[in-house]
Amino acid sequence: MTHASDLVRVKDLSVSYSAAGQSVPAVKHATFSIGAGEVLGVLGESGSGKSTLALSLARMLPAKARYESGAITFRGRDLLQMSEKQLGAVRGAEIAIIWQDPALALNPVMRVGQQIAEVLRAHGSRDRHERVERVQGVLTEVGFQHPSEVASAYPHQLSGGQRQRVGIAQALCCRPSLVIADEPTSKLDSALQVEILALLAKLRALHNMAYLIISHDPAVFAGWADRMLVMYAGEIVEEGSREQVFGHPLHPYSQGLVRLSGAPAGTPRQLLPVITGEPPDLTRLPRGCAFEPRCPERMKVCAASPPASSTPEANRQVSCFKYE
Amino acid sequence: MRDRGSILVPAVLLVLWHLAFLLAGFLAPYDPAEQQRELPYIAPSHLQFRGPKGFHLRPYACGASTVVDGPAPCYPVHFFVHGCTYSFAGMPWSVHLFGVPSPGRIAILGTDAYGRDVWSRLLFGGRISLAAGLLATLVSLVLAMLIGTISGFYGKWTDELLMGGAELFLVVPWLYFLLVLRAMLPLHLTGAATFLLVVGVIGSLGWARPMRLVRGVVLSARERNYVLAARGFGASDTYLLRRHIAPMTAGVLLTQAALLVPQFVAAEAALSFFGLGVSEPVPSWGNMLAVLQQYSVLVSYWWMLAPAIALVITSVMYGWLAEALQRSLKSSSI
Repeated sequence: MTHASDLVRVKDLSVSYSAAGQSVPAVKHATFSIGAGEVLGVLGESGSGKSTLALSLARMLPAKARYESGAITFRGRDLLQMSEKQLGAVRGAEIAIIWQDPALALNPVMRVGQQIAEVLRAHGSRDRHERVERVQGVLTEVGFQHPSEVASAYPHQLSGGQRQRVGIAQALCCRPSLVIADEPTSKLDSALQVEILALLAKLRALHNMAYLIISHDPAVFAGWADRMLVMYAGEIVEEGSREQVFGHPLHPYSQGLVRLSGAPAGTPRQLLPVITGEPPDLTRLPRGCAFEPRCPERMKVCAASPPASSTPEANRQVSCFKYE
Repeated sequence: MRDRGSILVPAVLLVLWHLAFLLAGFLAPYDPAEQQRELPYIAPSHLQFRGPKGFHLRPYACGASTVVDGPAPCYPVHFFVHGCTYSFAGMPWSVHLFGVPSPGRIAILGTDAYGRDVWSRLLFGGRISLAAGLLATLVSLVLAMLIGTISGFYGKWTDELLMGGAELFLVVPWLYFLLVLRAMLPLHLTGAATFLLVVGVIGSLGWARPMRLVRGVVLSARERNYVLAARGFGASDTYLLRRHIAPMTAGVLLTQAALLVPQFVAAEAALSFFGLGVSEPVPSWGNMLAVLQQYSVLVSYWWMLAPAIALVITSVMYGWLAEALQRSLKSSSI
C-alpha cells in the first residue's frame, strides 16, 4: 500500500548478518510504508528481526550486517545509496532514534544539556546561546519542570524515567519527521511506561511526526498506533490497522500473540495461553512457512513452500495459506 | 579516580624533582662547563659547623681550594651569593643558592677529570636528560594516539596494516637499532641538533606499545551505546573521536607516559654513554657516566656515579606514579 503522502517507503528489503562464516537472514523481503505523521507499530518476539528492521531505516546496522536487496526511500531519496556524510545530515535531523536503554545511550561523563546541544550543533546550530535556549525549550517540552537544573546534571544524577525523557529530548530537538523507537519503554517500570508513551503521543500530536515503534509487548501500541506490522522470523507476516490486527488477527501467530496479551492479569501461570514450540533457528529455517512447526492450524501445503502475501481485506495483508 | 591521594604523593615528588632541574642555574654554584684543571677528581667537600674560632652556626665547606699549599682549608658557605651568570626564563641571572668566597671551591659532589663541579653538571645534565625523556615521550604518545585511534576506529585492513607495523617495531631490538641509526649519521653535530636527533629517534621508536593499548581502548569505545547513539543523531567521525572516544584514552596515555619517561631518560643516557648522544661539553647524565668506562675511575671516584643514582631515583618515582595511576584506573573501571 503506497500513497503519495508516504514519508518512507521500504521495498523488498532483505538484511542478513554474517556470523561464523555463514549468512543469517534477519529481515526478508520487507515491504511497507510509513505516512507522514503516522504511528506504525512493529510487533514480534526476540529475534524476529524487528530491531534490525528499525535500525536499517537509519542505516545504523552494525558492520557485520549486509543489505541484500531492496530500497528504502525517504522523502524521495534512496537511503541505501547515500554516503556516510549525507546520512550524517539525515540522522538526528530528519530521522531520529529513541534508544532502548537510556542509561547506556548517554555519555556518563558529559552533562545532559551538553549532549542535547551537541545534536543541535551537529545540525548547524552555530550560536551557543541559541543552543542553550533550545535545549531548555525541548527539556520543558518533554516534561521537566526545571530544565536548567536537568541540563547541568550528569546522567547518573537522573532517574531512569528522567534519562529516557532526556533521550527523547535528544531525538526530538531537531524536529525530525520520523522517529524510530526500539523498545522505548522496556527498561522502565510499568507506571513510567505509561507516562513515557503518553509523552510520545502528545509530542506526536504537537509536531506531526511519524513514529516507528518496535516492541514485543502489545500493550505499548494500545490507543495510539495507527497501523501494525507483525514480524516472525524476519518476515512481515501480517499488516493492518491496529484495530484490525488486535481485534481480528488473521495470521495464526498474531492470533497467538493477541490471545497471550488478552489473558486477564492474575491468571495462574499454568493457565496462561502459550504459543508452543520455540522461536525458529534463523540458520535452519524450514523450507515452507517459518511458523509451520509451531502453528496450531498447519496444513500439508505449509511445509512444502512459503506462503505468498495476500490481501483478504482492504488495507490489510497476511502471509498464510489459510487466506490464499 | 578513587584513591587520588596515592597518586598525589609521587606526582608532587616528581614535580619537585623536575623543578630542581629546571632551577639548575640557581641551585648549582658553578657553570657546568667551567674547568679547574688543577683540581681533578676532588672528593666531595665535607661540611662542618666549626670555623676558625670554634663552633659556628654557618657551615664551612672544607676540602677544595685553588690554593695548592698547606692543608685543605675551610671556607664559610654563603647563601644567595652572586656568581657566574646563567639564563633563566630568557633573562640573565647571577644569584646562586649557595657558594663560598674565592679562592675556595665548594664541590658537594666532588669534581671530574677537568675539575668541573659534578653537582652543577648533574643539575644541568639532568635538565637535558629529563627534557629528552619528556619530549621523546610526547613524540611517542602523539604517534601512539594518532595511529592507535585510526587503527581502532577504522578497523579492517587499516587496522591490520598498522598493527602489523607496530608489531614490527616491537620486535626490533631498539637499543641496537638506535646505535646503528646514530652511527650512520654524521658524528659531529651541534648540541641542539644531536639533542633533537636523540629525541626524534627515541620517540619515534617507542610508539608501538602505547599504540596497541590506545587501539584497544578505541575499539571498545567505538562499540559503546552512547557512541552509537551519537552517530544516530548525526555526529561525524571526527566529532565522535574528539568528544566521546579520545577522552577515554586519557587514562591509558597517562599511565604509559609515566612508564615511558624513565625508559626514555635511560635510553638517552645509554646513547650518550656510548658517545652517540648529547656530546661534550654539554653535560647529560649519559655522557657524565661515560667516564666510568675507565675501570680506574669506577673504583676510585665513587661520586662519579651520581648520575646513575639520579637515574634510579627518576625511575623509581615514575614507576611509583605509574603504579598508582594504574591502580586508580582499575578501581574507576573505565
